Amino acid sequence: MESNFILSTGGRQPGLQSALMSKENMSIMEKLKILSDAAKYDVSCSSSGVGRRGDGTGIGNTLAAGICHSFGADGRCISLLKILFTNECIYDCKYCINRKSNDVPRASFTPDEICELTIQFYRRNYIEGLFLSSGILYSPTYTMELIYEAVHKLRTLYRFQGYIHVKAIPGADPEIVNRLGLLADRMSVNLELPTAEGLKRLAPNKHRRNILTPMRQIQQGIIQNKNELVLYRNTPSFVPAGQSTQMIVGATPESDYQIMMVAENLYKKFDLKRVYYSAFVSVNEDKELPALPGGPPLLREHRLYQADWLLRFYGFEAGELLSEDKPNFNILLDPKADWALRHLEQFPVEINRADYHMILRVPGIGVKSAQRIVRARRNGNLNFDDLKKIGVTLKRALYFITCSGKMMYPTKIEEDYITRNLLSNKEKLPFDRDGMTYKQLSLFDDDQEEIRNWKNVI
Amino acid sequence: MEECYLICEDSLEGIFTGIYNAYLKKKPHEQIHICVGEEENYRLFAVYETCQTDEKKASKVAGTIIREFGEEAYLSICRALAAQDRDKGEAVYKTVVSGLCMKNKRQVMGCLQNPYIHKVFELARFTANEAHYHVEFLRFKEFENGILYAVIGPKNNVLTFIVPHFADRLPLENFVIYDEIRNIYAMHPAGKEWYLVYGDEIISQAEHNFSEGEKKYSELFGCFFHTIAIKERRNYKLQRNMLPIRYREYMTEFQQK
Repeated sequence: MESNFILSTGGRQPGLQSALMSKENMSIMEKLKILSDAAKYDVSCSSSGVGRRGDGTGIGNTLAAGICHSFGADGRCISLLKILFTNECIYDCKYCINRKSNDVPRASFTPDEICELTIQFYRRNYIEGLFLSSGILYSPTYTMELIYEAVHKLRTLYRFQGYIHVKAIPGADPEIVNRLGLLADRMSVNLELPTAEGLKRLAPNKHRRNILTPMRQIQQGIIQNKNELVLYRNTPSFVPAGQSTQMIVGATPESDYQIMMVAENLYKKFDLKRVYYSAFVSVNEDKELPALPGGPPLLREHRLYQADWLLRFYGFEAGELLSEDKPNFNILLDPKADWALRHLEQFPVEINRADYHMILRVPGIGVKSAQRIVRARRNGNLNFDDLKKIGVTLKRALYFITCSGKMMYPTKIEEDYITRNLLSNKEKLPFDRDGMTYKQLSLFDDDQEEIRNWKNVI
Repeated sequence: MEECYLICEDSLEGIFTGIYNAYLKKKPHEQIHICVGEEENYRLFAVYETCQTDEKKASKVAGTIIREFGEEAYLSICRALAAQDRDKGEAVYKTVVSGLCMKNKRQVMGCLQNPYIHKVFELARFTANEAHYHVEFLRFKEFENGILYAVIGPKNNVLTFIVPHFADRLPLENFVIYDEIRNIYAMHPAGKEWYLVYGDEIISQAEHNFSEGEKKYSELFGCFFHTIAIKERRNYKLQRNMLPIRYREYMTEFQQK
């Protein structure tokens, strides 16, 4: 640890210096093990949102689409070196493995260790950049200073031009958030839980307002920076890849509707690039936490992501997908098919004439297929064979479309009939239909009961 | 009327030369076909001609494609020609023919109803996807002398599509990427332009010892790779979908046990 940081806190925490000193003996391997293990529950690993060529004097560039470099045993992408600066923490959030009251091995990196690891991994094409988060050491501002020092060193001394994602820690001095934003590509503030009540119950040291303050600050910083960039081309860019956040799903009893409304608000009012949903993984025993015998609620998380995509790329609104009366997603059908079945009066859609936005709403047609359809039909009418070549999933789309006025084959446009047919084609889910998932499904079959049980526990 | 088959060399220049020669014939295009490399089954009542690759003819065809169809379509055609496919020459030839008849020539690649254009689109997508996989999964190892060395075994000839990415990313590194299927090396000397070397002349490079740091950092990454997975979410099927098995023999994190 750099001595000036210890001094800058005015020696308010005697004893901690020696605690940190003892960590110096720990090998880099042990530290990496502890601090990547502690960081793995953070969902975001994307390296997208900013395209920047190298300037030839250092190392690194970024691709707007982002690059994944590997996939772990859980199938999640590994794009960034995802680590905590330290897993020491003064907070006691009930869902977190690093909570103060947990007896887990603690470690801290030095800025130099982080820089070396990042550069050496990066040159070998293991990673796309750095994701740096941290437990709260002493205070939010102090912790962010540590993160700043590491990132600053990486950008200036090591001339690293690859992707950097850092956490803004709620409660930290706005000045440090601003300084860090000029070095990072993406910043994120974790919402942690969908509602303020949930947060109060499970994260007693955190407050909703403190979380939204830096989020607003980053949003305004980005807008201001864009205006400056119009005037002065060489202004350093502020968080050019935008900001994201994440919330834990299934630790508190919010409905999918509540979660989607929160997400929609974040996209509309805070201009977020991404909202991540993280199926609650039970790592701590706590009476406030639900027991999840079926494992993390992966199917629910999956449905939320599907709906999230509908909001961001398909022009849907949360209110169209769910409502107060129907607050949770259908476990058997994806949200788009579910919506289409409740709005059969808008179908069938004529592929050769319909508006792009309406084509996007057809189950079985994605963004790419819709774009290809619109481009291809300029050169003549499309038939069902063409659609198949273009990439449309006809076994899902055929109930909702016509080509030159004809359906693929005569079918009833009737909710029960189509539902039955859609269900007979097994939906492709990104997780195995093994024991775990079956339990998952049964758990969701009695979703309400689960919540009731959960309430009984409290 | 008798059919005419033009046999071209399997390269961008070779096939472009073939297209040039096809136009020279001034015969209906349905009767002319382009095939790549040696034809296995010669057909009766057909004329076979071998095309001598000609840089000048090829660059004229390339110029026409860029001018009429635009850069993006040209890139798609280049990608399609880098694919490992017997019919790619014919598909590209007929795409050029169809495109030049279209009212809006710039939209040629959007016309997926046309089977030839669809074929070019598919081949280009295959090459582009594979190139992207290599940008993701390629792994460098460091020799004692600091040179970074990577081996790839792609199905399509993606090397020239991925080197610019690494040259931009690692401008101050000496690195070599070796395509072991086609026996081509891409060489990037620090701070200079990259170039290709064909053949076995520099294979001795591979006998260098790896550096001290190589062992350390490959082990560190192996450790990171294992700890970052959440065991409650273990999902090997998803992992296999995202990271096909055939890439793994070249990847550091799967080479250790």
